Amino acid sequence: MTTSPNSYADKAAEVAARATPERLVVRVRALSDRAIAWLFIAPTIVLLLAINIFPLFWAIYLSFTNFRANRPNAEVKHVGLDNYTRVLNDPDIWVSMQTTAHFVFWTILLQTLIGFALAYLIDRKFRGHAFWTTLILIPMMLSPAVVGNFWRFLYEPQIGLFAYAVSFLTGIPTSEIQMLGSVNLAPWAIIIVDTWMWTPYVMLICLAGLRSIPDYIYEAAEVDRASNWRQFWSITVPMALPFIMLAVLFRGIENFKMFDMVNLLTGGGPGSTTEVASITLKRDAFEAWATGRSSAFAIVLFVAVFGLANIYVKALNRVKQR
Amino acid sequence: MADVTLKGMTKSFGKGGAKRAVDGIDLHIADGEFVVLLGPTGAGKTTTLRLIAGIETPDAGTVSIGGRPMAGLAPASRDVAFVFQQYSLYPHLTVYENLAFPLRSPARRMDAATIDARVREVAKMVRIDHKLESRSTRLSGGEMQRVAIGRALVRRPSIYLMDEPLSSLDAKLRGELRLELKRIQKDLGATLLYVTHDQIEAMTMADRIGILAEGRLVQIGTPREIYADPANLHVAARLGQPHINLLPAGLLPGVEMPPGTKTIGARTEHIAIAREEGGNARIDWIEHLGDQNHLHIKLGEQKLVTLADPDMAVAPGDPISLSLKNPLYFGRDGQRLV
Ligand SMILES: Nc1ncnc2c1ncn2[C@@H]1O[C@H](COP(=O)(O)OP(=O)(O)OP(=O)(O)O)[C@@H](O)[C@H]1O
Ligand SMILES: [Mg+2]
Repeated sequence: MTTSPNSYADKAAEVAARATPERLVVRVRALSDRAIAWLFIAPTIVLLLAINIFPLFWAIYLSFTNFRANRPNAEVKHVGLDNYTRVLNDPDIWVSMQTTAHFVFWTILLQTLIGFALAYLIDRKFRGHAFWTTLILIPMMLSPAVVGNFWRFLYEPQIGLFAYAVSFLTGIPTSEIQMLGSVNLAPWAIIIVDTWMWTPYVMLICLAGLRSIPDYIYEAAEVDRASNWRQFWSITVPMALPFIMLAVLFRGIENFKMFDMVNLLTGGGPGSTTEVASITLKRDAFEAWATGRSSAFAIVLFVAVFGLANIYVKALNRVKQR
Repeated sequence: MADVTLKGMTKSFGKGGAKRAVDGIDLHIADGEFVVLLGPTGAGKTTTLRLIAGIETPDAGTVSIGGRPMAGLAPASRDVAFVFQQYSLYPHLTVYENLAFPLRSPARRMDAATIDARVREVAKMVRIDHKLESRSTRLSGGEMQRVAIGRALVRRPSIYLMDEPLSSLDAKLRGELRLELKRIQKDLGATLLYVTHDQIEAMTMADRIGILAEGRLVQIGTPREIYADPANLHVAARLGQPHINLLPAGLLPGVEMPPGTKTIGARTEHIAIAREEGGNARIDWIEHLGDQNHLHIKLGEQKLVTLADPDMAVAPGDPISLSLKNPLYFGRDGQRLV
């Protein structure tokens, strides 16, 4: 027998085969490839069903009832589409939807612009660019609870660094820089924190896009006498566009559902100026205990995000195939 | 169009310049001349073109185009057109847009109608006019290569640099485009530096051939000179089909040689054979190529290959007599002896 590496592997397989109890061998042999595949993914599917799919269907069921979670023993009545009509006719809910839209629009705009600009700079591969990349990524790695808390401190009008810095630069007294307390500033306070935290994420995706453009394309453009400006608009942007759009999709879905940071920073206040949809939903569900109606609202939100995301993905695919 | 001069061009890669890619190349390409660089893989052909285009900066040496020194000038200011070895098409653009791209440079101020006419004319030349609206990623390798050639030809630069532009084409199309390129170059009076592995391309198109080996320009001259009068073993081995036979001196008794000869180089035209019982060699086997035959001959332990007419009446095993007429002689260091 020759001693090629293969023969070692063969030997190992032989030993393993001999060590396997006969009964098990028969049973395993009886399984088809398909059955084994199912066996491997079954735990994941069970988990998914238990914590994602089941609650979804349960919520759909509840949305047609007058169930209240704080009165579990009360009689559950089917109310048909009542919950949905009430949700869609409620002006407060429309205001919270608008607040959400405002929030999503500005965060995405800022994060995409700044994220792409940072990625573009990092991609120049200047000295120490790896160090700066790591540094920029730190906010993204923090827990939203931590971020919310320390921005609360930063935003403190008396002792906070943010108010101090703004006042130092502009001369506006710190007492007027009530980032979280003022009706006008509170939405921007949240937009700033979200942008600070998630721009690195957008940057990372844009960087992947920029790195995917081969050098020789720029070399060809250079020889073809395209200016830097023209190279940027006719090569960099179109070729990185699918990546940018992907980043926008991820951030859009995420921010549509934004809850933790708003809840920590303002809890929806002052008044209801930062009351995004998910905050309204939480109040309805766990303060007013209108479980049925809030389920209906959740379903409406789900359908809206799902629909928008689908339309967007179609557009994304079209861009990718160009 | 303009002439191009390289002086002492040197470029190394790797840590501390460990790898000399181009090593002191001196080359003058006259205005309107077609020069072909021929060399094995890794010889530094691509690097030489990139240095002229300004994509790479030389460690030492200078390039001047049209008498103007190019040191420190970006590729855009050098007015060269480049056909890249890996095509380098703009993947998100159509064939038409790829061809129009160099003409759309604001510096050129060319109006849309002129651009359109030029693009369509060139597309026809390189036989890609039926695919103008295809995206460049949906093309075959040969089609991409033709677009890449077209993208250079739409321009009228000081010099065209072409890096193995016909390598992905089938034999028939390669033959056609070879003629076409040569004709275009003549019509335009274009200066063209062309890189290839293919000796037929080199022999048929070049005004002069430069032989590169390990970053050095070993010999430069007309195809005839390079073929008939190679400076050393390396150059002799690059040209000729079948390859030149290298025989140890003294294999054939009674041949007159310059003193110091180590190796004799014998091409087909240096070898005379005839069927003869009891001759000094015999036919080993015959390769039939259609229009000609390759005869594999054994002379003692030495093997030779030569061409023969398909209708020459020999069969494997036949004894023949073999003699040499004016072969090439090389010394111990591989240099040619005359
Ligand atoms: N950017 C680079 N970094 C490091 N080494 C390089 C680089 N470019 C080229 N080289 C080296 O320089 C040498 C010459 O390369 P070059 O591409 O000029 O060869 P070539 O003659 O074009 O070969 P081929 O016929 O295979 O295209 C090679 O050994 C290659 O490994
Ligand atoms: Mg090359």
